[in-house]
Amino acid sequence: METNILFTHKDLVEKGKSGDRSSQYQLYELYVDAMYNVSMRMLRTKEDAEDVVQDSFVEAFKNLSSFRYESTFGSWLKRIVINKSINHLKLKRVPITAIDDHEFHLNDETVEEKETDYDIKKIKKVIEQLPLGYKQIINLYLIEGYDHVEISDIMNITVSTSKSQYHRAKKKLIEMIKEL
Amino acid sequence: MDNFEKYIAENKDSFNEHKADRKKLWSNIEQELDKKPAPKVFKLWKSPIMKVAASIFIVLGLFSVISFFMNGGINPGQNDIVNQELEEIDMYYSSMVTQQVQLVKLNTKLSQEDKDEFLSFMDELDTEYKELRIEMKENLDNELVLAAIVNNYKKRIELIEKLLERINNSKNIEDGNGYIL
Repeated sequence: METNILFTHKDLVEKGKSGDRSSQYQLYELYVDAMYNVSMRMLRTKEDAEDVVQDSFVEAFKNLSSFRYESTFGSWLKRIVINKSINHLKLKRVPITAIDDHEFHLNDETVEEKETDYDIKKIKKVIEQLPLGYKQIINLYLIEGYDHVEISDIMNITVSTSKSQYHRAKKKLIEMIKEL
Repeated sequence: MDNFEKYIAENKDSFNEHKADRKKLWSNIEQELDKKPAPKVFKLWKSPIMKVAASIFIVLGLFSVISFFMNGGINPGQNDIVNQELEEIDMYYSSMVTQQVQLVKLNTKLSQEDKDEFLSFMDELDTEYKELRIEMKENLDNELVLAAIVNNYKKRIELIEKLLERINNSKNIEDGNGYIL
């Protein structure tokens, strides 16, 4: 089953590799909204997100021949979008991680897990309001579903930094949700 | 994964709230894809390596210009040694010449006429020598200039030698006369 997932849209990808425009368009149709949302979550502005998505598709189609089904086409494409978004943030000098980068985290899992009724709308609103340095790690881990190894690679930080940053960001997020 | 994380994972879809402007984006993408890859112009000044190379080049250039002027227009290094050696030889000869000239000046046995004649020759050679020195500073390597300087010295020494010979001869004659007397 695992291999089948990797070869999702294999036909389209293979035709796209040989430059078939309609296959490329079909791939675009399948993924554009998802990619646009990924980019919007990171960049927050429509224009920036559109630029990144455009660039990502162009780069993906131009480099399709280097895609070797080591992941699904979707996650390959998503990675391009994420990288481009991070670069965009860096260009704009937006902090992508929190600055005070202490390597300690107290025995953090004493979280008072009272079965609070989370409200996804509330959570979304709070994520929007998170300090810039916290937002990206929450995004990448909670929503995009990357693990700390992948995040350390994307953000060019160590795995332990990724972990500690995430724990702090999550703590902050939960605090903010409660205050709301 | 705690409950909070689980909850978000379950509600992932609700984060996909935006709709892309498909037509606009695709037309831009298509435009980009249709672009013939522009003939690759390798912009030297845009390559970081070239930038570094250029800076090094400029720094080296500045350094050599500065050191050129600091050393009075003559390059340091090998020429320095040559120059120093030359300077020593020059000092030796010039001190010798001035000493001899002084001797001639103080010599009582020579007529004023002879002295003046000799000194005017010497002055002539002196101005020539000064010109050669200036020429020399401009191009140290010029062998002709070097040869001319050496010749200049040779002439002076020759002149002095001849004069001394004459003085000695007259001395001898006088001495001879003395003995005869």
